[in-house]
Amino acid sequence: MPQDDDEDPRNGAVEANDHAHQSPLKKPRLTRPISEPDILQEFSHHQQGFARINNGSFGSCPRSVLSAQNTWHLRFLQQPDEFFFNSLRKGILESRAAVKALINADDVDDVSLVDNATTAAAIVLQQVGRQFADGSFRKNDAVIMFHCAFPAVKKSIGAYIGPAGGSVVEVRLPFPVRSNEEIIAEFKKGLERGKINGGRVRFAMIDHITSMPSVVLPVRELIRVCREEGVDQVFVDGAHSIGSVPVDVKEIDADFYVSNLYKWFFAPPAVAFLHCKNSKGLVDLHHPVVSQEYGKGLALESSWVGNRDYTPQLVVPSILEFVNRFEGGIKGIMKRNHDGVVKMGTMLAESWGTMLGSPPEMCASMIMVGLPSRLCVTSDDDAMSLRTHLRVYHRIEVPTYYQALRNEDRDPKDKDGFITGYVRISRQIYNTDEDYHRLKNAINQILEDGKICSMLPVE
Amino acid sequence: MDSPTTNNHNHIHTHHLNGASTISQPSKKPKLLSSSFITPAEIHEEFSHHDPSVARINNGSFGCCPASVIAAQHRSQLHYLRQPDNFYFNELKKGILQSRTIIKDLVNAKHVDEISIVDNATTAAAIVLQHTAWSFHEGTFQKGDVVLMLHYAYGAVKKSMEAYVTRAGGHVIEVPLPFPVASNEEIVREFRKALERGKSEGKRIRLAVIDHVTSMPCVVIPVKELVQICREEGVEKVFIDAAHSIGCVDVDMEEIGADFYTSNLHKWFFCPPSIAFLYTRKTPKGGSELHHPVVSHEYGNGLAVESAWIGTRDYSAQLVVPAALEFVNRFQGGIEGIKKRNHDAVVEMGEMLAQSWGTHLGSPPDMCGSMIMVGLPTSLGIACDDDALGLRVHLREQFGVEVPIYYRPPRDGEVGCVTGYARISHQVYNKVDDYHKFRDAVNQLVNNGFTCALLSG
Repeated sequence: MPQDDDEDPRNGAVEANDHAHQSPLKKPRLTRPISEPDILQEFSHHQQGFARINNGSFGSCPRSVLSAQNTWHLRFLQQPDEFFFNSLRKGILESRAAVKALINADDVDDVSLVDNATTAAAIVLQQVGRQFADGSFRKNDAVIMFHCAFPAVKKSIGAYIGPAGGSVVEVRLPFPVRSNEEIIAEFKKGLERGKINGGRVRFAMIDHITSMPSVVLPVRELIRVCREEGVDQVFVDGAHSIGSVPVDVKEIDADFYVSNLYKWFFAPPAVAFLHCKNSKGLVDLHHPVVSQEYGKGLALESSWVGNRDYTPQLVVPSILEFVNRFEGGIKGIMKRNHDGVVKMGTMLAESWGTMLGSPPEMCASMIMVGLPSRLCVTSDDDAMSLRTHLRVYHRIEVPTYYQALRNEDRDPKDKDGFITGYVRISRQIYNTDEDYHRLKNAINQILEDGKICSMLPVE
Repeated sequence: MDSPTTNNHNHIHTHHLNGASTISQPSKKPKLLSSSFITPAEIHEEFSHHDPSVARINNGSFGCCPASVIAAQHRSQLHYLRQPDNFYFNELKKGILQSRTIIKDLVNAKHVDEISIVDNATTAAAIVLQHTAWSFHEGTFQKGDVVLMLHYAYGAVKKSMEAYVTRAGGHVIEVPLPFPVASNEEIVREFRKALERGKSEGKRIRLAVIDHVTSMPCVVIPVKELVQICREEGVEKVFIDAAHSIGCVDVDMEEIGADFYTSNLHKWFFCPPSIAFLYTRKTPKGGSELHHPVVSHEYGNGLAVESAWIGTRDYSAQLVVPAALEFVNRFQGGIEGIKKRNHDAVVEMGEMLAQSWGTHLGSPPDMCGSMIMVGLPTSLGIACDDDALGLRVHLREQFGVEVPIYYRPPRDGEVGCVTGYARISHQVYNKVDDYHKFRDAVNQLVNNGFTCALLSG
């Protein structure tokens, strides 16, 4: 809440020294940690009686943060001019400072708040496009990304870089995946392909945690490989990362790093941070919505893109307050989510006779679980039908994924055939084991009824 | 200015929204019985969240939102939070289409495809100007081709011109405008002169960016006439930045005839922050290839569809247009009645202030909508932009009056002229007392010998 409070843990966050960047993360209150009934209450606005195992798509926001947001909103409505002149800028700076401490950034000027990772991608790709257009990057130079990069980001690359002249190399993510080495090997091959036209790989877009299929990538090693190959700029799309894996931007050392705060860090829709290494040196990085703040640096440009509702950007201190009510703060939450999702994933795989899409150490708070081949997931439509059927008939929300066979000896199988479908289960603090048992039973029921995806009713 | 009747729609367009069959929300005509119109007490209740200690005569900057629309927004937000996947798959697109359809009817556009919803006019300007920049980059426009804008264009739009047009090699020409202004002819004259300048170097004028209602100083521009002149003079495209206009002046796409037109619904149409529409005229050649700069998986499906999904966000402000319309229709005459009463009141209050202070209005009444510029007494000594801002802050903090102040530099040879103007707004929540409070505050400052020079001490 935006009130003064002697005990306000935000004071710790704002004043945290760089070397003690973990203090806002690790300072749970000395009073007892939040109780189970409190957690239920915080998420009582979620649809009841519904197994919500898809935190990864749209995230979640506890009541106390929504309440803080509402307080800001009301202040704006009461006297918007006063709010604009006296409160807004300060409030955004406070949020940015809290994020800076969270991610171990050097300089708060390097931390911008934007709507979401999609917006951050447009910002970064616009300047890459410019470098192709003005000749700093040549026509035979390339950009590299993973084949399973988020669809919006792929379109953004097509929109901003394609017309400007660069070529795009896509690296296929081995999936199911067994080790980091497999991924690094594919990436290295991709870098070689990028040089085929005699040019260089200028820009690499690397997911920290891929969306579909979901795997935690070895970003630190991949960036090291990029630096060895002389890649000019590395952009890490960490849409899922903050609140599910540790994020230390100095250690990761990307040129650009974005993560959504509303997915795993309890922000309301929608706010993300974009960290730019040495932003003062980046003269050509701009928010595409140009306002009076143009030219003052991305962080200031992003803090005013015309009259809008900025309340999601103002509640970061309140989120820290929430997170620090938990044992171990955000670190404790991350660990418990991870352990829980692995346990439940393993339980599902055992019940269905399938397997996990990645080893536990390559997942965070989400994991891919193979669906029984008897369901006959033969297309994206099949996968979507299953998802809709589960929502409408079983009150379960879980995203599904179809992957065609690749005709390699590694195509996954169960006792009945090839596995082509997966679910991506998420675990957040509001989930209980019951949610996943419901999913287990629903799939088993569908199989018992002898149904396959294309036969499932969806209305 | 009133042109109610026939058009290409298959329903007659009157100033009251009829219950078009495509709209399921109530967009009925206001009831005929006066007892069912909203009462002053109800209006007061709807805006009871406004700070009661402030004379809020600046609706123009941040607009306002009645409690019933805020409540509708909360419901929409909670609905999303309850089950976001379901909302995304089954409700969001429908809701945005419904809002777009209402707006299409409100502004007399031919096709709902022509109406995109974006955050605000600033975003709309970026969309149009980014496309202009691209046209320069790919050679469709030649370096040095001209883009015209008004000198009083909004600050953000000027920056956008710099970022997208000048940077891409376009030549920006500003149309100087007189202020105070006495007639449309003065504006038309300057505009024609600027067009001549633009054409004189043998370059094409690719785009004219014209405000419908300038922000500061605030004047209603004769856009219909200027658009006609642009067509006659071979200006390729016209973009009207009408940030203020919907709910403040008449907005009719067929009448005005521009290629692109944007207006904020959160200023004068009772929506919460933030929502604006960007109208893009369909031509036989197909629409102009405008894109939202935040690219999502909808890229290439047309601006309206692109703008309806720019990543996960709170779209609730864009979904409550039906609720805003319902609110508006509780008033006698609907939005037309509101506009007229606001206009009459702001003119009356402006004249009252000018008389009390011995100054004048910045424009004649027929060149204003729901806002008007009122000269401030010269003894206040407003000598620069900082003085204007300082006076504004002083009025807010010492007198509880919120009103933007404009510094008008003296022209060559002018002595002892009025250099400061207040832009007063009138919206349905305003009372006569608000303006009396302002009048008395200024008179007190004058009587106390206040000057802006004192503020920097």
